[in-house]
Amino acid sequence: MNQAHPDLPPDSQADARGWREGFQTGLPTLFGIGAWGMVVGVAMVKSGLTVAQASGMTLVAFAGSAQLASLPLIAAGAPIWVIFLTALVVNLRFVIFSALLGPHFSRLPLWQRFYLGYISGDVSIALFLQRYPIATVTPEPGKLAFLKGLMYPNWIAWQVGSLIGIFLGSTVPTEWQLGFAGTLAILCIMVPLIINSAALCGVAVAGVTAVLAHELPYKLGLLAAVIAGMATAMFFEESIAKRNRRSRIGHG
Amino acid sequence: MADWEIWIVILVLGVATACTRSAFWLIGHRVTIPPRVQEMLRYAPACALAAIVFPDMVLGPQGDVQLALANPKLIAGIAALLFYLWRRAMLQTIVFGMLVLTLLRVFHVFGNIG
Repeated sequence: MNQAHPDLPPDSQADARGWREGFQTGLPTLFGIGAWGMVVGVAMVKSGLTVAQASGMTLVAFAGSAQLASLPLIAAGAPIWVIFLTALVVNLRFVIFSALLGPHFSRLPLWQRFYLGYISGDVSIALFLQRYPIATVTPEPGKLAFLKGLMYPNWIAWQVGSLIGIFLGSTVPTEWQLGFAGTLAILCIMVPLIINSAALCGVAVAGVTAVLAHELPYKLGLLAAVIAGMATAMFFEESIAKRNRRSRIGHG
Repeated sequence: MADWEIWIVILVLGVATACTRSAFWLIGHRVTIPPRVQEMLRYAPACALAAIVFPDMVLGPQGDVQLALANPKLIAGIAALLFYLWRRAMLQTIVFGMLVLTLLRVFHVFGNIG
């Protein structure tokens, strides 16, 4: 059981309320999470992983987009470090998320901080930050319970969906091309990440580079594409900022 | 890829998850990311996903670039993109895109390839 923090007396009422509130906040998203897990589950099996491997992957990695990204790399026999780098890059958004979320819970024991970070997903984090936008120094009763009420059901919905997909996937004929559902799912995650015209340029350059460079060994085309896309987006953003500064000076 | 290699990949994916998601929970209160790096990080995920999606839609089974109408994945992908921009619902978009792909396949609308 969790030890209560020395400066925060246990408040089981606030915890129960927080948990319920978190669960209710996350409830409408659980179906979508499960369906997205199912798509990834099907895609894993369809790409040639065994049921055991696919189940292991979903339980250990718990990262839909990184899992999907790794599948073509595994099929192509890419080196493991390329797969690792790709997974890191696809997961980079979580570095930012964890930088936002971590300070809320910096008082918790190390192990608890580790596993809470490990099971955090995009949707839970977004919903948590809507409810608690600012990390306060003084502990707020029920906040941790609220987070758990979001995260635990989210994790379970994802895993159940994935496992259903894994077992269903092996019974679906290959001609149905169900793996393409994974591509479509990535498309749906990608679009909201295109936050401005600089990002749009970056995405276009990254996509075209990936296609043109697909014959590079070790799937290095993917990393080249990400670097080219990021550089383009940064360059574009900088030149817009410069033009804005100049026009502001011009208007005096 | 050999069986044991796939298991190593699975472990490596777990390590990647831990590195990115847990790092700042563990050390976050001691570090601040410089704003320039934060900006670059903001663009990385979209670029990485684009680098996966584009080849999936455009490359044929032999790694040949297929930009013609006869490529059902390209058509279905573009249709799904437009649908998503309109409805903003992931699940509906996946169902719609798969429906388009399946119809194109079943009826060989633009002639059959790969």
